Amino acid sequence: MDPRVDRLAQILVEYSCEVGPGDHVAIYASHDAEPLVRALYRRILRAGGLPYAFQGYGVYFSYGGYDDIFFSEASDEQLKHVFRTDNMVLREFQAMIVIRSQTNTRLLSGVDAKRQQLRNQAYSELHKTYLARGAVRELKWVVTLFPNDAQAQEAEMDRQSYADFVYAACHADQAAAVASWQEVDRQQARLVDWLKGKKQVHVEGPTVDLRLSIDGRTFLNANGKVNMPDGEVYTGPVEDSVEGWIGFTYPAVRYGAEVEGVELTFERGRVVQAAASKNQEFLEKMLDTDEGSRRLGEFAVGTNHQIDRFTKNILFDEKLGGTIHLAIGSGYPETGSVNESAIHWDMICDMGPEGTITIDDELFYRGGQFLID
Amino acid sequence: MRDPRLAKLAELLVNYSNEVKPGDWSLIMGELVTLPLLRELYRAVLEAGAYPEIVLSDPESGLLRVQLGNDEQLNWVSPLQEMALDKADVLFRVLGTDNTRRLSSADPSKLSTMRAAARPMFENYIKRASTGDLRWVIARFPTEANAQEAEMSLMEYEDFVFQACMVDEEDPVAAWRQVQADQDKIVAWLEGKKKLVAKGPHLDLQMSIADRPFINCRGDDNMPDGEVFTSPVEGSVEGWIRFSYPSLEGGRKVEGAELIIKEGQVVEAKADKGEDYLLSQLDTDEGARRIGEFAIGTNYGIQRATGDALFDEKIGGSVHMAIGHGVPEAGGTNTSSIHWDMVTDMRDGGQIWVDDELLYENGKFAIL
Repeated sequence: MDPRVDRLAQILVEYSCEVGPGDHVAIYASHDAEPLVRALYRRILRAGGLPYAFQGYGVYFSYGGYDDIFFSEASDEQLKHVFRTDNMVLREFQAMIVIRSQTNTRLLSGVDAKRQQLRNQAYSELHKTYLARGAVRELKWVVTLFPNDAQAQEAEMDRQSYADFVYAACHADQAAAVASWQEVDRQQARLVDWLKGKKQVHVEGPTVDLRLSIDGRTFLNANGKVNMPDGEVYTGPVEDSVEGWIGFTYPAVRYGAEVEGVELTFERGRVVQAAASKNQEFLEKMLDTDEGSRRLGEFAVGTNHQIDRFTKNILFDEKLGGTIHLAIGSGYPETGSVNESAIHWDMICDMGPEGTITIDDELFYRGGQFLID
Repeated sequence: MRDPRLAKLAELLVNYSNEVKPGDWSLIMGELVTLPLLRELYRAVLEAGAYPEIVLSDPESGLLRVQLGNDEQLNWVSPLQEMALDKADVLFRVLGTDNTRRLSSADPSKLSTMRAAARPMFENYIKRASTGDLRWVIARFPTEANAQEAEMSLMEYEDFVFQACMVDEEDPVAAWRQVQADQDKIVAWLEGKKKLVAKGPHLDLQMSIADRPFINCRGDDNMPDGEVFTSPVEGSVEGWIRFSYPSLEGGRKVEGAELIIKEGQVVEAKADKGEDYLLSQLDTDEGARRIGEFAIGTNYGIQRATGDALFDEKIGGSVHMAIGHGVPEAGGTNTSSIHWDMVTDMRDGGQIWVDDELLYENGKFAIL
């Protein structure tokens, strides 16, 4: 077996989910991810946990991987059904490991959005429970990815190169992988600590000149507990405080649509001007979704320097070391954000070797490196 | 149980497309993931009294050669393959892969080297095909990766592929004979004509087709099929064209490609996406900037573009043009190691005039 697979399993079980004796742990994966599922199964048992391996395509509610059949055949009544195993896992289990490993990433392209909406509505109660249990870590869930052909193809890479990319991003190519994530956790905790009580952020770079307030807001440490790979610190900026301009250096990807060369200008927290070199219409439509979609829900700094390329997958892209990202739309209440919207769209900006972040007149960050003690 | 449409497809390819006869040495080539169709072909060739031989390729090994090969290794051509393509009577090339983007990060100059090295073999193959010495057909086996590329589930994609090949019909062979008859009328009408003008929102082209016969593509070389094409007189093509559909060539996506052509030569090229790759391909060799083909797609069972030339170029209501190698049967004399088809929609106001008579309008033939 590829030793990196077992190391990824070790990270997920020992570090992300901290599986202990008696923990019920659900694994969702497609058959493509079989090597990782086997490794997880072994690691969970060794940790004293109780593994349940479900076949599924990495959604919280699973159809055994037969999602396309479910959506094309199910009656409205069947669509509204909450499956018992989903109830069990999300209400009662201690941990859940979701492995993105679809054998075809476009499996649901042909599904009517209304039918998906109906399904989401039926699950909205359960979804709240899942979020609430997740927030207090009563349910320790983590999302990761297995590098199969379909995911490699989506990233426009061959499978071997993509596997190298994924395992490096997860630090699974390092002998002391768990220790490495513990170190990420420590480093980022230090940043988050330092940021406590700070007020003003000024981001300057080749394509950005932006000021925002973080007064009373909390930065969170994305340390590999709920995403693997991970590596970012983020907050929700004070809603009406954002002023200035940013040009995103990577395409903004949403629902498979790519918007290139997005430039946004903010006044009193609102996007007052939006341009794109490609697909501007889609950008404008998204900005007009609702009141909150013209405001920022998130400001974040990516810290994972093992991720060295953009792959059109937000699980990786937003963590790129040397970048910041902003999300228009809903914010995370844990950060103090009160912005509400039906969308949350992350857009990523490379800071370049000279880009800086100044906080309350102190130089916090330059060219991908944090400068505080 | 096997998908009955797969067996029907194999029988169509063996008995209609390649007309396999007892004693024919029949090569069946494809990647590992296409094995179910290769096996059906093996069975159908045996039933036709001929000699089937499966030649499997492993794309991961192929990638290793691109990544690790030195100049000599990249320039090497397998004598085994050379001999097979020189001697076989029948060839089935089955497309279908487990990762359509495998070559995305491979060095395009190395890919060009390999293609240039294989050129004599390719030319021999074209020559044998044009004399009828080698009967060949290209077909597609629907895989998850190709379904993903087409943004469909595998089930939807299988329906799409099999419908385009008409193997969901009771008698696919009869259906293809009807296509042949309809296209015969178009080809006959075009006989002896001189000047072709194609214009519309996405193109404005003129070219000479004097003494260049149009060929009826009726499922004998491609499955699916449905087009009539010629190789226009090499120096005569003038004008501008913007391709409506993305083109996936060598694992790279090129979108919104636009060409300006003067005296048969691409003098300006750009693309919304993949422009570098387009330009590098145009510089492959002397003939890569010339137009090898102009064609009209007639398969109205294909209604959506999927990034797959084998299907997109047949879309009923589209035309396509290929840069690179011309087709000798159509009088084409251009030689190149590339032949890259790009497709343009004609359904929104496109017209084709031939010697000042309207042949085609809004995706339909006006003369039928």
